[in-house]
Amino acid sequence: MSWVTVIWSMTASACLTLALVHGLIWVRQRDAWANLLFALAAVGTAALAWYELAMMRAETLAAFGSALRWGHLAVWVVFVSLVGFVRWYLQAGRPWLAWSACAVRTLSLLLNFLTGQSLNYREITGLRHIPLFGESVSVAEGVANPWMLVGILSLLLLMIFVADAALAVWRRGDRRQALAVGGSIVGFVLAGSMQAVLVLRGKIHWPVTSSLFFTGIVAAMGYELSREVLRASQLSRELRASEHQMRLAAEAARMGTWLREFDQKEIQATEQWRDLFGFTKSEALHLEYFFQRIHPDDREMMRQTLTQSNRSDGRYQTEYRVMLPGGQMRWIASQGRVEFNARGKPVRVRGVSLDITHRKQADSERQEHRNEVAHLLRVASLGELSSALSHELNQPLAAILSNAQAGQRFLAKDDVDLQEIRDLLRDIVADDQRASEVIRRLRLLLKKGEFQPQPLDANELIQDVLSLMDFELASRAILVVKELTAAMPPVRGDRVQLQQVLINLILNAGDAMGQTPTNARSLIVRSSRVENNFIRISVADTGTGITPGSEEKIFEPYHTTKLHGLGLGLSLSRSIVVAHGGRLAAENQTRGGAMFHLILPEWKGDAR
Amino acid sequence: MRAPPGPVTVFLVDDDPAVLRAVGRLLRSAGLNVTTFHSPQEFLDRQNPEAPGCLVLDVTMPGLNGLELQQALIRAGNHLPIIFLTGNGDIPMTVRAMKSGAVDFFRKPCPDEELLAAIGRALAHDQLFRQRRAEEQALADLLATLTPREHEVMLGVVAGKLNKQIAAELGTVEKTIKVHRGRVMEKLHVASVAELVRLSERGGAFARGG
Repeated sequence: MSWVTVIWSMTASACLTLALVHGLIWVRQRDAWANLLFALAAVGTAALAWYELAMMRAETLAAFGSALRWGHLAVWVVFVSLVGFVRWYLQAGRPWLAWSACAVRTLSLLLNFLTGQSLNYREITGLRHIPLFGESVSVAEGVANPWMLVGILSLLLLMIFVADAALAVWRRGDRRQALAVGGSIVGFVLAGSMQAVLVLRGKIHWPVTSSLFFTGIVAAMGYELSREVLRASQLSRELRASEHQMRLAAEAARMGTWLREFDQKEIQATEQWRDLFGFTKSEALHLEYFFQRIHPDDREMMRQTLTQSNRSDGRYQTEYRVMLPGGQMRWIASQGRVEFNARGKPVRVRGVSLDITHRKQADSERQEHRNEVAHLLRVASLGELSSALSHELNQPLAAILSNAQAGQRFLAKDDVDLQEIRDLLRDIVADDQRASEVIRRLRLLLKKGEFQPQPLDANELIQDVLSLMDFELASRAILVVKELTAAMPPVRGDRVQLQQVLINLILNAGDAMGQTPTNARSLIVRSSRVENNFIRISVADTGTGITPGSEEKIFEPYHTTKLHGLGLGLSLSRSIVVAHGGRLAAENQTRGGAMFHLILPEWKGDAR
Repeated sequence: MRAPPGPVTVFLVDDDPAVLRAVGRLLRSAGLNVTTFHSPQEFLDRQNPEAPGCLVLDVTMPGLNGLELQQALIRAGNHLPIIFLTGNGDIPMTVRAMKSGAVDFFRKPCPDEELLAAIGRALAHDQLFRQRRAEEQALADLLATLTPREHEVMLGVVAGKLNKQIAAELGTVEKTIKVHRGRVMEKLHVASVAELVRLSERGGAFARGG
């Protein structure tokens, strides 16, 4: 048994094994360039070991020379792979140094084939046999090739490049990595080249054993990469655990997740998602099938949402109805995020969908309930206004009667003034219209309607309510001051319900001024735009104000300061306003009296 | 100081222009002279308080209301008869108005005959009131022509005292009293003591006028 053969061939086979493992990793995972480069370096080292063994066993000058020459090709492969590995794996090192080192090494490889008998010898003059591990191996004797300096230069450049890269990594904080990769490369290359130079200069009697040094480097790199593999498997274990938890959570919340790659037709979705949308486990999922499931009224909105999300920041959030194959309807809330590639092109979109049918049902029941209570309170507040309203009706009726009776008298005279009759008839028509306008407004207020949001002019809303309450306010000797901002965008709201809120606020203001001297009773109604696309209607009075500290309490149900109040007006008003996506708040004014702010969102089309 | 009394006019005050026009037209159709005002304040500012006629007044108006105008007129000594028209008169309001001397109180809409009849009554009332006031004034003017001594003598005569008694009270002789008495009868255009007593009864207490 020869020790030399054992050591060198074991070195080679160990390197080849490592190369095979990492080569396979790269085959499976094409962006694992570090593994490929490592595999190449290992293959190069194995080849070098093979050539070194051939050199030691060479019997003729030609056999030795040829093995030495081809050995340089293996060195070149290891060299270039090392440079690439350092750049790729450590993400460090100056590119110009990397390129120069590779270029000089390539130059030395060319010189190896073009000058002398190899890069090392201009001419090999003879073979000498020296003992190694108890057997005799061949070493060369000859004239050194002066171009060998180029090879040494390339090794120097490599060491500078690696040392610089390792320093950068050290500074970055990855000290262990800097030492393992940078230190081992610099150390083994330095040792290997020193040994080679000494051997070739004939200073020591020993064969060139660069492959052994390179094996050291390969071992260090392999150790480093295996840590990566270990970490990856650790991560994948954790990922599996968190995926499991995620699935549990998703199941508990009846939440489905899905993913769509823009270059693929099919959507990938979890079982829960398929269940939510009524798809079977194996059914193919195309975007179009998904749209088919969406309620026709929501389909267009959903298409637009998806199209728009590709353009903006890629996030969207939406609620829509889904029609299941059995005809059942389900409310779904979806949140999604588009992922973009480096060039800003949308690549995929992923998201979660949630069944919110129960919530929606509860919402609509609550809304119905609110409508019911709102109607009752409206009727009650109209009761409070009834004498004012009968006045509103009596005025035009009185005018009509007087005009008609005057007409009868005029016509009974001998000379009929036709102009007078014409004027009088025109007045009758106008008064009649006025009376029917009062009735129309009343009927609208008494109507038991559903919540119907529509674009409303806030100023018109104020005018309508004030004209309905004109008499009530006049009979309480309240001066009305209107400060309306012109040309505002419309608000989104239900006319009747918002009128009711305003009536309630104005009646409250009137009640609050019961003790105020009649010449100081004023009601200020103001409209203005506020930030974030909201419109504010403020109702201020010169009354007693709100007990400090109960600015929020007054909105609680059954909280009342009135003798005969139910204490539902403000709480209902607030719930109406909140259902509109707005706010209702109260404060005391510094000069006395309370001020209520009704803040409503602007109309932005019928977006959900 | 006293403006000449104009033609008899119905003054109409209502803040609702349609009602104001319609009721004004109705009254004109009945041959009445009408002046319209949109607010009590306008009435106070523009109207001669001595003008004869009556006031038809809405109750609920912004600023000064109908009842307040009534009080303001009473304070100013203006006795113009008032008819209230209201959109929704309640009982306390009616009572207050009538206690303060309103002629009538109507709920709108009201039938024309009733309103016109009430206006007729009010105008008659106003006329009678003015006539009586004119007579009192004439009497007061007449009394004002007496000298203080003649006035004292007259009071004695009306009280049924003899000339002698009056002379003793005033510290003079009976002859002088006789002269004064003759001048009183002459100035007051009365022929007998009986007539003088009737005059004094009509004129109320014989307080000094002028």
